[in-house]
Amino acid sequence: MNGKTLTKADIVDYIYEKTERNRAEVKVLVDHLLELMKDSIKRDNSLLVSGFGKFESYDKKARKGRNPQTNASIMLPPRKVVVFRLSRKFRAELNPDEVL
Amino acid sequence: MNRSELIKSFAERFNTPDYEASAFVNLFFERIRQALIDGDRVEIRGFGSFSVRDYAPYTGRNPKTGAVATVGPKRLPFFKAGRRLKAHLNG
Repeated sequence: MNGKTLTKADIVDYIYEKTERNRAEVKVLVDHLLELMKDSIKRDNSLLVSGFGKFESYDKKARKGRNPQTNASIMLPPRKVVVFRLSRKFRAELNPDEVL
Repeated sequence: MNRSELIKSFAERFNTPDYEASAFVNLFFERIRQALIDGDRVEIRGFGSFSVRDYAPYTGRNPKTGAVATVGPKRLPFFKAGRRLKAHLNG
């Protein structure tokens, strides 16, 4: 692991270099794409990107929790969480020597 | 929704031809994929972040047969949903 982090600005630069649009337009479109992705995860409970992976949302039940500072017991409300499941193809690319 | 449906709704919503929407969406995921292959972190504000985790090899068992199985080392990206994505789903 090295210390580099890819940010949204880096993705915008990359797309900008490879398309005919100006940078500001690319930025707006990337933001819109992310909104579409969020809507899809919410509406369909999943977004499948072939060769990359699948974002899935599922329900967590309400559960009892505790405030670690005061020890007060509280009820945590039910909520949705998102998990990312890696595509097999992408997994193989990340682990070229792995035998499955 | 899958990749082609995402491309289609992107094209419709922003009035771009399908080939352009397709190139755009593919470049977006391609850049993230490449960063993760390089072992870099990816942070997309409002959506979430990916970090690549290295897992050490271990000896496991097939729970059905009880047979000993060695599991090799592996690198897997881990996704953490961003605050706004969580809020969006729970809103």
